[in-house]
Amino acid sequence: MPIRIHIFPQPVRVGVVKVVVTGVTDGLGEPLAGVHIQVEGDMAHPGMAPVFSDAPETAPGTYTARLNFSMPGDWVVLLHIRLADGSKIERQIDVRGVAGP
Amino acid sequence: MTKLQEASQEEEEFVEAPPFDLLRVPLIGRFLEWKHARTLLAIPMLAVSVAMILQGLLGPTLAPKNLATVLTWVHFRGVLVLALLCAGNLFCLACPFMLVRNAMRRFVKPRFNWPRALRNKWIPVALFALLLFCYELFSLWSSPWLTAWVIVGYFAMVLVVDGFFKHATFCKYVCPIGQFNFIAATASPLEVAVRDHEVCDTCGTKDCIRGRREPAGRTDSELVILQRGCELALFQPAKVGNMDCTFCLDCVHACPHDNVGILSRLPAGELMTDPQRSGIGFFSRRKDIAGLTIVFCFGALMNAFGMVSPVYTVEAWLGRLLHVQERAPILGLLFVVFLLVEPALLLGGAAWATRAWAGVQGAWLSVTVRYTYSIAPLGFGMWLAHYGYHFFTGLYTIVPVTQNALAELGWPVLGDPRWTLVGLPKTIVEPLEFGFLLLGLAGSLLIAWRLAEDDSEQHAVRAFTPWAVVCVILFTASVWLMMQPMDMRATMMAG
Repeated sequence: MPIRIHIFPQPVRVGVVKVVVTGVTDGLGEPLAGVHIQVEGDMAHPGMAPVFSDAPETAPGTYTARLNFSMPGDWVVLLHIRLADGSKIERQIDVRGVAGP
Repeated sequence: MTKLQEASQEEEEFVEAPPFDLLRVPLIGRFLEWKHARTLLAIPMLAVSVAMILQGLLGPTLAPKNLATVLTWVHFRGVLVLALLCAGNLFCLACPFMLVRNAMRRFVKPRFNWPRALRNKWIPVALFALLLFCYELFSLWSSPWLTAWVIVGYFAMVLVVDGFFKHATFCKYVCPIGQFNFIAATASPLEVAVRDHEVCDTCGTKDCIRGRREPAGRTDSELVILQRGCELALFQPAKVGNMDCTFCLDCVHACPHDNVGILSRLPAGELMTDPQRSGIGFFSRRKDIAGLTIVFCFGALMNAFGMVSPVYTVEAWLGRLLHVQERAPILGLLFVVFLLVEPALLLGGAAWATRAWAGVQGAWLSVTVRYTYSIAPLGFGMWLAHYGYHFFTGLYTIVPVTQNALAELGWPVLGDPRWTLVGLPKTIVEPLEFGFLLLGLAGSLLIAWRLAEDDSEQHAVRAFTPWAVVCVILFTASVWLMMQPMDMRATMMAG
């Protein structure tokens, strides 16, 4: 599955950002049905509060979540994807140097 | 009743109460006096250390989800400083490294004495500074894998040093965590100390330092140790304060008169005077321990500076100024400024002013060394504020991380990880932080005042003022750092 994660706006700053997940498709490029995606943001430093958000489908094969980066620094965005058959996929991207407001 | 009788009665009423003695507390005291108490305390610590190493090497790569990073950088550091504040050097008491070292020494007997030239704190001071430098350079807080290797390296270092060298060489002359604990414990409320000095005056065996041995073999020269005396060369009757004391309780177990306790005392009171200390000498003559105090205090500022936004502005500016892109030299320069230049200017300047203005006797360096110890509580306050912040705001994160670790082992007995469990709100934690800083400031000012009074009865205020200014500058810097937005980046050179 050619999943890609995009974060807007760039450069990323503290506050609410839009996490857009594209490419949630099958081998033929057709959008998958019955997919649930939860987006999680963690600071690179342990002990900080993670942030969570559900990502509803906003276009065929595209899911969008709003995530609140609550403090500056390095963040990691995790996608918890549950497919219709119950199987799970995890994806992760680093969001380095989130700037202050 | 005459006035004389009244005064006499009042005097009797004000006879100093005996200090609180932890070893007289039911159950706790009995447990700590048991010969194997330290071993029993260290076993769970060792088990946790092994779990941290395994999860650090094999578990999740994301720091907030891994036991190694969460326990080391959130919980261990927090519990360590809070225990030092509320009781004493409890980590060294339950040290897992000593458990492994003691096991090794059942098979490997060290043959060498630590070289005389190295019997000081300069090596651990350098290691302490190096650890702080590596923490920033390699962003240890964000890497479970590196954190696990730091723990493995620590075990290896203990085994190598104490495998070759006798006594508690590692604790006294190498261990940077131990030195951190020693200097912080000068502000602790408890101290391993003699209950009644008159009992020591009549003691003929001095088991507290010599230990007890008995012949083991056919020749009298073969002796087996029944009970160790103090391995750090602290002779109880002449011991003053917590410096170099690991709370191992060997002296408690060795004393045939049951005359060593864990007694209450005025926190940081040991820094207000300068007696000759067993195993240490005079603080005012120990440049190495003063150096340790400097790294302890200014390292606290540097360590906190490394986690707030302005550090990136400074680094980017230095990078442009020096045309350097690599992190190491820029960070190295910052450490030189924080740990060498800044203390030299502040402490050296204060010592110069004290001598010039108050006429305090002694060479410039001697005065600097003597008063340097006054800033130890401020440094401790900064460590408390910093580590306490991470500990309290991330207090419950250990729950989901443990749940996750067990689930990954295929044993989800604690249920699904509850990642939303975090810690106390900042509205509670921030006042605590400022409380720790204020406590440190008060302690430092009090010590500086007492030293100034001793040095110059006529001009105590003049002797005190330069050091009060230093304390206020450090306190202001600490408060400013605490008010900055936290900004933890592994990408140090980002602009």
